[in-house]
Amino acid sequence: MNPILSDRPARVQPDSTWPAIIVQSATEVFQLMLNANIDAAQAPSGERPGQVCAMVGMAGSLTAVFRIRCSKESAHSIATKMLGGQNPGDESAVYDALGEVANMLAGNFKGKISGLSDGCALSVPTVITGENYDVYPHSGGHQIKVYFLYEGKPISITLELSG
Amino acid sequence: MKPIRVLIVDDSAVMRKIVERCLRQAGIDLTEVLEANNGLEGLAALQGRRVDLILSDINMPAMDGLEFLHGLQAVENAKGTPVVMITTEGSESRVVEALSAGARGYIRKPFTPDQVKERVTPLLAAAQ
Repeated sequence: MNPILSDRPARVQPDSTWPAIIVQSATEVFQLMLNANIDAAQAPSGERPGQVCAMVGMAGSLTAVFRIRCSKESAHSIATKMLGGQNPGDESAVYDALGEVANMLAGNFKGKISGLSDGCALSVPTVITGENYDVYPHSGGHQIKVYFLYEGKPISITLELSG
Repeated sequence: MKPIRVLIVDDSAVMRKIVERCLRQAGIDLTEVLEANNGLEGLAALQGRRVDLILSDINMPAMDGLEFLHGLQAVENAKGTPVVMITTEGSESRVVEALSAGARGYIRKPFTPDQVKERVTPLLAAAQ
């Protein structure tokens, strides 16, 4: 077993700096892996941010799920850019790429938070497709949500925290 | 630098392609690229074959990168082959564990092609 999960590390509490750290983590991932810029944005009014959602679980000093959600078109573009302009081909490669983005976001984020880097393990990514669903936080939990524009289309990144 | 054979172990096919592209961009002549989806497949890929470089993720299903490193110690074909971990794992303790288990370096995701080049080329130069 991962020692992080057996050693019961001290809990890390979220604070007001976390949204900015999520923004910074996402910006770095997009710049380094896609050579692309993203712009922080307001929540789109009445519009769901997309049909593809990649998630990575966090366990240990923080119990949470990191989610990135975007349109199929944005997911395809992200995969293409990650592959250096090469068409990803089938949808599985597109989902694979978005899962890796979620993985790097979560890893980059936890590396910037004192107590998370050594105290929190990541799950392998999971990808959900579809639009007509909602996610309800566990009792006592809450979420930190930020929005970006990528090629003019909204992307949401959510850190779903368990209580 | 002479052409090399490389094994890339990662559960993401996209990430394996990115790593391969970074190696080629670094000017490394790859004669063969073996790919594995996890540590178990990585160990199987080395049965009867020798490679010049192994790049491995840490966080993978079935057999993770640290177990893979331990498994490599029993693979005669892998003796002396440099292993570089490529991982989102920011945990210093996991990195130290990987280095203690025989990894010769690590690259943290997200990464640039230059970072791959910086880590890998000295290892290949030393091996040649």
